[in-house]
Parts: sequence; structure tokens; C-alpha cells
Amino acid sequence: MRAVAPSAPVRPSTPAALSNPASLRPPALGQFARLLMNLGPTLRYSVLIGIGFLMLYPLLWMVAGALKPNHEIFSGIGLIPQAPTLEGFAKGWQTSTEYTFTTYFLNTFKIVLPKVVLTVISSVLVAFGFARFHLPGRRLWFGLLIATVLLPKSVLLIPQYLMFREFGWLDTFLPLYVPSAFATEGFFVFMIVQFMRSFPPEMEEAAVIDGCNSLQVLWHVVVPVIMPAVISVALFQFMWSMNDFLGPLLYLSSVGNYPISLALKMSIDVTEATAWNEVLAMSTLALLPSLLVFFFAQRYFIEGVTLGSVKG
Amino acid sequence: MTPRLSKRQFLGAAAASLAAPYVRAAAPVELRMSWWGGSDIHKAQLAALRRFEARYPNIRVRAEYTGWLGHLERLTTQISGNTAPDLMQINWNWLVLFSRDGLGFYDLRQLGDEVDLGQFDADSLAFGTMAGRLNALPICMAARLFYYNASTYERAGLPLPTSWDELFAAGPIFRSRLGPEYYPIDLNLQDVVAIGRAWLLQRSGKPLVDEQGRKLNASESDMQEIAALYRRLVDEHVTPSVEEHASYGNVAPHEMRSWINGRYAGVYQWISAIGKSADTLAPGQRIELGAYPLRAGAVDAGLLYRPAMLHAINADTKHPHEAALLMSFLLNDEEAVRALGLRRGPPVSARALKTLADDGKLTGIAWQGREQVRTLPNHIHESGFFEHPRVRDAFMEAFELLGYQRLDVAAAGTRMYEDVNQILKRVIR
Repeated sequence: MRAVAPSAPVRPSTPAALSNPASLRPPALGQFARLLMNLGPTLRYSVLIGIGFLMLYPLLWMVAGALKPNHEIFSGIGLIPQAPTLEGFAKGWQTSTEYTFTTYFLNTFKIVLPKVVLTVISSVLVAFGFARFHLPGRRLWFGLLIATVLLPKSVLLIPQYLMFREFGWLDTFLPLYVPSAFATEGFFVFMIVQFMRSFPPEMEEAAVIDGCNSLQVLWHVVVPVIMPAVISVALFQFMWSMNDFLGPLLYLSSVGNYPISLALKMSIDVTEATAWNEVLAMSTLALLPSLLVFFFAQRYFIEGVTLGSVKG
Repeated sequence: MTPRLSKRQFLGAAAASLAAPYVRAAAPVELRMSWWGGSDIHKAQLAALRRFEARYPNIRVRAEYTGWLGHLERLTTQISGNTAPDLMQINWNWLVLFSRDGLGFYDLRQLGDEVDLGQFDADSLAFGTMAGRLNALPICMAARLFYYNASTYERAGLPLPTSWDELFAAGPIFRSRLGPEYYPIDLNLQDVVAIGRAWLLQRSGKPLVDEQGRKLNASESDMQEIAALYRRLVDEHVTPSVEEHASYGNVAPHEMRSWINGRYAGVYQWISAIGKSADTLAPGQRIELGAYPLRAGAVDAGLLYRPAMLHAINADTKHPHEAALLMSFLLNDEEAVRALGLRRGPPVSARALKTLADDGKLTGIAWQGREQVRTLPNHIHESGFFEHPRVRDAFMEAFELLGYQRLDVAAAGTRMYEDVNQILKRVIR
């Protein structure tokens, strides 16, 4: 593999061709066609950049809005603020509550991190079971699991609320992440199962012959292979939990326990004009963790989502 | 030494006797209180709570507040889970959701002097009463009134409309003098429902929803009349069409570019919420209260007059007396009233009004609105079911079909009549 230099010319090169580079060009290529050749990538990239800009516009608008004074935000769609100000960030971080945004950020991570870890562990375990073990009634159980994906979440709200009230867990973070320890997100289990099915079981069989028990097989053989899927699950759960509004709204009553998603909507009322620049400034900051995590894990994420779907 | 001691003892005894009603509250108590609001309200309300805690050192108040979004969902869950706060701010139409029999909230008449009911007139007490039980006390009363962008009217060379005819006449003048993107008033479909009701009630003089009969207190032709009113408002360029409204996307009226820049020059807005429309105007624009238009021979202005928000106490609270102390403090006490000011709209409590009047704080367009309401003929108590979400949606849907010309005036009126009657039959139980 390494023997071929990356810059090795494709066409067979004779000494004559090397001495006269013009002869390398296809003979029929005229002036106009050459222009087109150069124009092609230019056009392609300008279209791509244009559409990319359109797609990113709302995001850019949010960042620009954070730098504008309030009355300027809705009076135009331009991005450049007339008099840029960081007031939105300063005031937004202070908030109108007894706490600063630091508290809300910390609360968010106290919910999101355990939730992501528990989801990954439980989903991988359950998916491994479905993909590799022949339990009695496996198809039925798997069908039931998929059925929970279709169940509207609002149906569960009141019964779950009553259950957690009996546990004495209201106004704590527990109701928000403990359920994740039981592979409650059927979609993730489904995704990992599909991913596992795309790999032949021979490697695992070899590991069993070498004396691994099931958990060792999972840890040493399966998990390294399904890493892209695991990272996709973690990323999805991270982003969904960051944005979850209804769960914290119902289970957390003390303002000191609110995560970002609630805190962002704290100052939006029906009787009072909203200081949108503060809301936009804090939304920008709230987006950063998701963006950073996504950029760092982007390669695995794309692979994880697409590979399972194609080969499954 | 002896006389001084005895004097101190005397003072101590006097203080003890003054504090006698609260002796039973001396053990430390933690109350929970919930409200929704925006930044200013949160700050003011928290300041008021700190003052309450300073006054009653044995009571701690845990504040549980959110923005508007999701507050009802959360309260519903808490009430059905029996974990509602001791004192809560509620919307008026939530009374029919949670306490049709009057048992959903604490009966305030069961409490002693802690609630100073003398500060509230019979009318406002009636609004908080369900099935004979006083469930809630209003923080502020509200009605929808006509507010105009006076700067735009000046540019059009028109005085603010004082009658329906002048309002209708302003449409073509706006179009010819300022341009087709200028309108005398901006009405979204919800405003249209309210204005249609006012228009009808000014002639009929009776509430639109008949709660006993579980139906509309109006005929099919009445409904066609308000459908025709909307058609006329749009056709005569008085208010923008649904298409034009939709082109702005799902934006709150006070955040629409045309309102900010003065092209939509009026609103039909609650006096408790008019502050937001005034705040978003671009610099140089001025908002003013307009005269309320009355039809010839109108017996009633057809105002939708009701509490904008109320305080209620949890029916199962462990500390009803302390919760009542807090409620009364927030509604009546000078310190709390000064902290809150007119942020919640003009207060109802007589003592609160006096405090603000003494401070010279009773000014501004919300207060002018409250004064205007007192001069208008206003005798109709509308049923809370008029503002039931499903009733409102049925009205709005018919207006929307009319606006997009999918139905003509007669068919839209018929549809409103049939749909709303059907829904009323189902929701009033």
C-alpha cells in the first residue's frame, strides 16, 4: 500500500511527455472549455456557500441579535448591528432571578451527564441481548420495545409524576435521569441492534472459544466495533436532554434547580415585552456545549447514523 | 431601675398582645408560592417576598416561578398530583378548569382576618367566587381597549377614532394618504373574536355564552353579523388580511415589524398587557388610549371585563393562615404594593390603590384605561367558557376560513354558530 507514492502520475509517462507538459493536456480542450473547467468548481462552491449561508442564517441571526439593542432586533433582518453591545450577555447572565446562569449551566450538566452515561450503558446491554441471544419470545419483546417508541410521551406524564411523588423524588434530578438506566429510549436500542446486526458473529465466537464470558465479549470485542453507534447515541441523548423542557418543568419546582432550557424561557411573559437580546445571548451560550461536542465527535456521528441504516 | 424594668415589661406585654393573632404562626413555617411573569415581575415579586419575610421572620417563602410557557401544564400536574404550592397565581379561566364546584381552592371566607376582604368590592369578589365559595382574589381587573399609535394618526392627518364609523372611515384615508401598507388598527384572529363579541353585545346587551343552557346566547344571524363585520374591516382596509398577517410568520403582534415602525397604528389590547405594545415601539412613536366606540343606542360597551390574574390558596395547604397572610401582604400592604407598582396592571385592592395614588404612581396608559372602563356602560358578566381554548379555536377557525375566502360570510357565521354550540354542549358539564 505504502509503495505507491500519493502523487504518482496516473497516466503512463514517457520521457517525451515529461519534457513537454503541454502534451499532457487533452488535445481537444479549447479556450472556452478550459474556462468552463475552472468555472465548474467556482460555481459549485459558490452555490454550496450560498445555500450553506442560507441554512446557517437563523443561527447567525441569533448571534447577531444577541449583540443588538432590543428594538433593533425585529425592525430588520440585517445581520450587522448598528451599535453592537455586549449588554445582552452581561444582563442575561445575571438573569432576573436570584441565581446567575452559572447555576443553570451546572444544573444542566448534573442532569445531562448521568443521563448520557446511563443511556449508553443500558442501551448497549439491552441491544446486545436482543442482537446476540435467543431469548424465548424475542420478537415479541423487541416489538414491544419498538412500540414504546411510538407511544406519545404525554400519556405517561401524570402516572410517572405520581410514581416519582411516591418515591419522594420531586424537585430532585433523579426523575430526569434514573429512568435512562432502564433503556427506556427504544429508539437507541433499535439503532444499536441494527448496527450490531451488520457485523458477523465470528469474532465474538472466537472470543468465546478463547474463554471470554458474555460481558467480556461485549466489552472487549463488541463495544470497540460499535463505537460509532455508541457515540451517536451519546450525542443524540446529549442534545435532546439539553433541549428537554417539559421534564424539568414538571419535576423541578425550585428555581435553584432549573436547567438552561427552563431558565431561557423564564423572562418570556404574555404581559411584558421580552428582552430578546438577553434571551438570544443566553441561547447562543447554551448552544455552545452541543456545538462543541458535535464538532469533536462529528466523524463518528455521521458514520454511526448512516452505517447502521445502509447495512441493516 | 425598677420603673424602667416595669416599663420594658409593659412594652413587651403590649407587643405580645399586638402580635397575638400570629402567635400560632410562631413556629418556623415554609410556604411555597408560584407565579408566572417576565424579568421585571420576577425581580419585583422577589423583592416583595423578602419584605414579607422581614415582617414575619418565622415564615420562609420558597418562590417557584416560570415564564408564561408551560405554567398551566405544570400547575395542572401539580394539582392532580397533590403537590401544588400553598399560594399560586392563576388565570381567571383556570377557575373553571380546577374548581367548578368551588372545592378546588381554599375557601377564603373560612379564614379569619388574615385576608382583608374589605379592600375588595363586591364585583371583584364575585369574579373569584365559584359555587358560592370565594376561591381567589383578583390582582388586577382587565378589559380590552383601543390603543392607537398617535404619531401615525398625526401623519395621516386624522384625530384618533371615537366611533365605529370613524374607525371604518380611517381605512381608506390611511391607504390613500400613507400607502397600502398602513392600517388604522391591527387585529389578529383572537382580537377579531373579541371585537365581534363587543360589536354584538353593544346591540344585544346579554352575555355571549349561556352557561345554564350550554349554548350561545345568540342566533345564527347574529354570528353572520360578526362574520360580516370582519369582512368589512378587511375590505375597507381597516385591518390587515389574514394573508398579510401570515406573511410575517408566527410573531407576536407587538413584535411585528409593522407595529414597531408604526404602519399598523392600533391594537385592541388588555389594559394589563398594553405595556408590552408600548415598549416595543421604535423611538419616536407614541401610543395613546382611544375612545371606546359605541354603536348607536348601545346599552353596554360589550367589554370583556374580568380579572387579569388572581391569587388562590391550595385547598390542601398545611398552612392556610400563613398563606393568607402572604396573599394579603402582596395584594394590600404598602411595601409590597410599592415594590410591584403597576407591573401587574392597576391593582384592585382599595388600600393598594390609595398607596399608589399617594405616591403619584397612578399614571400612564394602563391607568387611563382603567379609568375609561369606569366611565363605560359595563354590566355584563361573561361566562368563563367564552375563553375556553376550544371555544376560542372554533371561532378563530371560522374567521380564518372567512379570511382566506374559503367560506362566504353567511357560511362562516353558520359554521361558528354550529361549531361553538356543539363545543359548549360538550365542555360545560
